[in-house]
Amino acid sequence: MSRGYEMSRDDAAVQRRPGSPDPWRHAVAIPVALLCLLPLLYMLAGSVRAPGLPPPTTPELIPSGATLESYERALALLPLVRQAVNSSVVALISVPVSVIVASWAALGMVMLPARPRRAVIVVSLLALMVPLSAVLVGRFAIFRTLGVLDTYVPLIAPALLGMSPFYVLLLYWAFRGVPRELYDVARVEGLGILAIWRRVALPLAWPAVGAVAILAFITSWASFVEPLVYLFDARNFTLPLGLRSLAELDRSDFPVFLAGAVITTLPVLAAVVIMQRLLGGSRRRREQA
Amino acid sequence: MSWLGERGGAATLLLPYLVGLTVLIVAPGVVTAWLAFYEWDLVRPPRFNGLENFGELGRDDVFLAAVGNSLSFIALAVPLRLAAAVGLALVLHARMRGGSAYRSSALLPTILPDVAYALVWLWIFNPLYGPMNAALTALGVGPVDWLTDPDSARLAIVTMSVFTVGEGFLVAMAARNQVPEELYELAHVEDAGPLNRIRRITLPLMGPTLLLLAFRDVVFSLQSTFVPSLVVTGGGPPPYATTYVPLFVYREGFEYLRYGYAAAATLSMLVMTAAIVFLQYLIVRRWRRALLVPRL
Repeated sequence: MSRGYEMSRDDAAVQRRPGSPDPWRHAVAIPVALLCLLPLLYMLAGSVRAPGLPPPTTPELIPSGATLESYERALALLPLVRQAVNSSVVALISVPVSVIVASWAALGMVMLPARPRRAVIVVSLLALMVPLSAVLVGRFAIFRTLGVLDTYVPLIAPALLGMSPFYVLLLYWAFRGVPRELYDVARVEGLGILAIWRRVALPLAWPAVGAVAILAFITSWASFVEPLVYLFDARNFTLPLGLRSLAELDRSDFPVFLAGAVITTLPVLAAVVIMQRLLGGSRRRREQA
Repeated sequence: MSWLGERGGAATLLLPYLVGLTVLIVAPGVVTAWLAFYEWDLVRPPRFNGLENFGELGRDDVFLAAVGNSLSFIALAVPLRLAAAVGLALVLHARMRGGSAYRSSALLPTILPDVAYALVWLWIFNPLYGPMNAALTALGVGPVDWLTDPDSARLAIVTMSVFTVGEGFLVAMAARNQVPEELYELAHVEDAGPLNRIRRITLPLMGPTLLLLAFRDVVFSLQSTFVPSLVVTGGGPPPYATTYVPLFVYREGFEYLRYGYAAAATLSMLVMTAAIVFLQYLIVRRWRRALLVPRL
C-alpha cells in the first residue's frame, strides 16, 4: 500500500465525486432535505406557541403570535438550567478524557505490528456492534459494586472508550494519514511516545481530533439512558432526563415540552455548526496547500 | 508498519482504551450472562435459580408480546431504513450545488438528542391536534388513532426510526462513491437506463456494505426502540402494543428490581438476534450464488 500524503488522495476523491449533477437530483434532493428537516422545524414551531392553548387544527408551520411563554413556563416548572449545568459538567470532563483515550489508542494502533493491530480493530468493530441494552444490566451491577451509583462516574466512564470505538477507529484512520516520514523523523529526534502524540499526531490530524471532540460532546450531552439508570437524585439529573420529566408532567402541553426540547437541542446544533466550520476550514486549507 | 521495540509504548497508549473495553463491554456482557441464572433485587444477595428465569420468560405473556413486537419491528423497520439510507445515498452522493446542505439535512434527525427527537413525534402524532393527522385529514385519508390504536402505534414507532438513518446514509454514500465511474460510463455507452444501472451496477457493487448495514440495523433495533417506546407510547396502548424487548428489560430490571430476570431476557434476545443475523447471512449467500451464475 503506498504511503505518503493520504489526505491528498481523499482530496482528489472529493473533487472527482462521481455522479453528474443532473437537474433531477435537485428536484428530488430539495423535498427530501425538507422532509428530513421537518422534525426540527416542528420542534421550533411548536415551542413558540403559548402554553396550554388549544392548538390549531391546521398544520400551520409558522404560528401567528409566536411567543416565548412556553420557554418561561418550562424553566419555571423544572430546574432546567441546573440540569443543563449538570450536563455541562459531565461533558466538560468526558470530552477531554475521550479525546485523550481515543487519540492515544489510535496512535498506539498505528504503532502496533500488523497482527495485534488487526486484533484491536476487530475487537473495536465487535464492540461497536454491541447495543447498550445488552450491557446495561451488567454495567449497572458493576457500578453498584463499585459504589458509584447516583454519581457522575458511570456517565463519564464511556470516555474510557473514547465515547465510542468508532471514534477510536476514526482517529486511527486519521493518524494513519499522517506521512510516515514525520513519525520516523520524530523517532530519530529521540521523541518519546507522548511527545510524538502531542507534537506530530494531534497537530497534523487536528480536523479529525476536533471532530471527535465535538462528536464526543454531542454523545455525552444527548445521553439519556445512562442518566436514567444511574441517577436517582433529581438535583443531579442531566438535561435529557429533565426533559423527559418535563414531558411527563403534562403530555398534552406540547409547547412547553417542545420548548424544553429546543433548549436541549441547541447546544448540539451549535456543536454541529462548529464541526462543519472546522472540517470545511480544513478542507479549504488542504485545497490551498 | 511497526516499530519493533515500540510495542511497549504502543501498549501503554492503548491501555486506557483496553481497560474501557474490558470494564464497559466485556465485563458487563459476562456479568449479564452470569446474572441470567440468578435472582437479584439489589437488597438481598443474588440467589442462584438455574434455568428458572428462562422458564418463566417462556410463560411470560409480556415477554412473548415484547419479542413479537421486536421481531415485527425488525421485519418492517430494517428494510425501510435500508431503503431510506440507500435512497438518500443515491440521490445525495453526487457533487451538486448545495450538496453539503442537503446531506447535512439528511443527517440532522440522527443528530438530535433522542429524547427531544421523540418528543417532537409525540406532538406530530397527537391524534387530535398533531400535524400528521391534520395533514392526513386534509388529504382525505382521515385522522388515524396514532397512539391509541395498537397497529398505528407500532407504525408510528417504525416511522420514527426511518428518519434516523444518518449513519446508514453515510456508509451507503461511501459505498456508492467507491463504485468505479468507468462502469457507469460503460453503461452509458451501452445505453443502459437508470433502472438497469441501479440493478446491475450500483446495488450489486454496494451489496456487501448493504449487508453489513442490514446486520447492524437488526442488532440495533434491540436498542433503537427504547427511547421512542418509553417517551412516546409508554409501552403503548394496552396491553403492551409497543413494549419492545429493551423496554421490557428496563422495566423488569430497573422498575421491578428483577435484575436476574432482565438479564435472562437480554440474553434470550441476543441469541435470537444472532440467529436472525445468521439467517440473513445464509439467505444472502444463496442469493449471491444465484446472481453470480452468468446470464447469457
